[in-house]
Amino acid sequence: MLMVSGVSKSFGGVKALRDASFAARPGEIHALAGENGAGKSTLIKVLCGVLRPDSGTVQTTGELATAFQELSLAPDLTVAENLFLHDPPRGRLGLVRRSVLAPRADELLRRFGVDYVDSRAVTADLSVAHRQIVELVRALATEPEILVLDEPTAALQESQVAWLAGHMRRLREQGCCVVFTSHRWREIEDLADRVTVFRNGSHVTTREKLGEAEAVTLMSGRSIDRTYPRLPPVPAGADRTLTVSGLRAGALREVSFDLHRGEVLGVGGLAGQGQADLFLALFGARRAAGGTIQLAGRPLRVRRPRDAIRAGIGIAYVPEDRKSEGLLLPMSVRDNLALGILDRLSSAGLVRRSAERAAVRSMVTQLGIVASRPMTQPVGTLSGGNQQKVLMGRWLLTDAEVLLLYDVTRGVDAATKHDFYQLIAQLAERGKAILLYSSETEEIAHLCHRVLVLREGRIAAELAGPVGDAEQIVAASMRERR
Amino acid sequence: MSIDTQASTQAETGKRRLDSLTPNTKLILYAYAATAAVLLAGALLHPGFAGWASLRAMLIVASFIGFVAAGQMLVVLIGGIDLSIPWVLNSAAIVFTTAGLGQSGRLPYAIALALCVGAAVGLLNGLGVAWLGVPAVVMTLGLNGIMQGLSLGLSGGLTCSSCASYAPEPLRRLVQGDTQLLLWAAVAVFVTVLLSLTRFGRHVYAVGNSPRAAYLAGVPVRSVTVTLYTLSGVFAALAGITLVAYGGQASLGLGDPYLFESIAAVVVGGVSILGGRGHYIGVVAGSVTLVAIVTLLQAKQVPEYGRDIIYGLVILAILFTYGRDREHD
Repeated sequence: MLMVSGVSKSFGGVKALRDASFAARPGEIHALAGENGAGKSTLIKVLCGVLRPDSGTVQTTGELATAFQELSLAPDLTVAENLFLHDPPRGRLGLVRRSVLAPRADELLRRFGVDYVDSRAVTADLSVAHRQIVELVRALATEPEILVLDEPTAALQESQVAWLAGHMRRLREQGCCVVFTSHRWREIEDLADRVTVFRNGSHVTTREKLGEAEAVTLMSGRSIDRTYPRLPPVPAGADRTLTVSGLRAGALREVSFDLHRGEVLGVGGLAGQGQADLFLALFGARRAAGGTIQLAGRPLRVRRPRDAIRAGIGIAYVPEDRKSEGLLLPMSVRDNLALGILDRLSSAGLVRRSAERAAVRSMVTQLGIVASRPMTQPVGTLSGGNQQKVLMGRWLLTDAEVLLLYDVTRGVDAATKHDFYQLIAQLAERGKAILLYSSETEEIAHLCHRVLVLREGRIAAELAGPVGDAEQIVAASMRERR
Repeated sequence: MSIDTQASTQAETGKRRLDSLTPNTKLILYAYAATAAVLLAGALLHPGFAGWASLRAMLIVASFIGFVAAGQMLVVLIGGIDLSIPWVLNSAAIVFTTAGLGQSGRLPYAIALALCVGAAVGLLNGLGVAWLGVPAVVMTLGLNGIMQGLSLGLSGGLTCSSCASYAPEPLRRLVQGDTQLLLWAAVAVFVTVLLSLTRFGRHVYAVGNSPRAAYLAGVPVRSVTVTLYTLSGVFAALAGITLVAYGGQASLGLGDPYLFESIAAVVVGGVSILGGRGHYIGVVAGSVTLVAIVTLLQAKQVPEYGRDIIYGLVILAILFTYGRDREHD
């Protein structure tokens, strides 16, 4: 069994866990639910001893195995080496018997029914889904008494989720205590015997039955009052801003569509169906293997982001991971905002300070960015929502007419989310053409004039919007699946 | 309000003011505090140490470190490193002497040629790092070896047998006088303006903080990289030329001390070795600090092995103080 009582943990003044308690029994599957930053991941790290709590106790009885959300596999080792990292087969002198490593790994992968993963492949070359599977097999193979899985399904496809669910249930029957987190409520309802909700680092409730609406209320601490702005209709005969035909890139098999002036086009589907590749390819950050792109009627070739930014009416891409792909955290709000328009702000290579200050001020006001000293304050010191606004502001300053918004509300507080919804509607009204992806299908359901549902790198369905009901998009993404 | 609380409020305001400084500014202050501490220690231990004559001599010696450190800093700012400095410096010095033959008339040509050698090697470094994806350590170390081989092979161990003097007289006068310090000031202004006031400078810090984010923001990461390595080569060559003028000859091994010193000056100057943070104004302090330490140890007639040990320890001590503060950021 597993018992955590009164655990607190802070990171540099930010309380990730406050007096948190949690218990799971043998022979149950126990889901941990909560918003981003509710403390789930921290709790899991405390559970398995990666983090030492500031106060409180953790009791476990029996062997514990964990599979982490940030994959803990060594990227440059082979799958086989990773599978036996902790206990490699050894010979008489204690040296690793390399010759039996791969065959044993093959046997293990076969036993778990995932022999489509090559045990000799270097881990970094695998897809995220396959890496997650290796991580899971490594945890499952120890036949633990306590199994802790942090977001195990985020990267998996439907069939792989079913595979994992089978193993979780099997372990439960054997009396194992299985704890997992998920952002997909359906999985929690399907799998969990009990659900514990966390909010702001504290335990809120543990229930056997919990409906989604109530769960959301408990997780957010407020009732669902998500109001979406009314989208201004796309004017009849609006210009085609972006025409994509037969685009292939990464997991994207072949995708064709038009995007019009003033239109918000949603890209839905289960995670990892090529959405990221679509956005990156349009922005020139992923090499297209085929197909053509036309921007305002003219053929566009993008070999790198710079080409997309400078092309004709301009393309902007707001990435999902603002910390590693978007912002330069130690640099000032000013530096981050102005980065995209330095060409315009400079004469003879020198940045014109007054023009820059004016541009920064206007964007800070327009987006309501809360920063005490925008000219010098490092953007990393702002709250998540304000950081995201800075990133958005950088691209708005470029006056790009095509906006590729990839999960811009991820990890952002409710108030800022609301601001972003308003902003998206306003931008559409001003005639911007917006391609929108969100990991929250509900946003796509409410904020888009049309929704393309991607499945296995192709457009599986096109829905007229606002769809209003996220279930419709989910249903369309799963229909006719083998 | 009692005096006590007033005092504590004042102290708090002071502390808040220090907290409100950007980490960059703080590290520059630390760099100058370190210089001041070494100079103060010198003045106490050795009368006359901090006098103008001695200070001026130290500044001139420091200027050579300042030149190479300018280049080193530029590549360190994007998380790179230039290990080719010693033999780029040395080969530029050799090219300068052999092309100039100690004649005043050939001076402009010799200087231009030597700077071109530096730029060319720097360009190769940059192309290798940015386009071929060779790790900076490998690329620059490789070119350092190649330049060493070329220098030794082509010079046959001799730099200029027919030269009466290696550096033309006008240049010698120039470097030994205050002009050398003015040249250093010019370099300082150039690098500072480049980094703080230009679009290119913004791009440099952006790449240094996150190459991926900079790339996705449309920063031409590769051309920034190539430019910085080229500049590093030019600065190494500049150090080579001025060293010849200062010492009067281009000996083999002339550049050897400058690899360690360029990196040490950059780090002691408060530049993050991981990139993205730092200013040349701090590196100036770093260069002076290094020279002051060595000068003081020499003045105290510490034997050479002892000098090396103490030199290393003092640098580590300085960096340790910086590092402790950074943890609190």
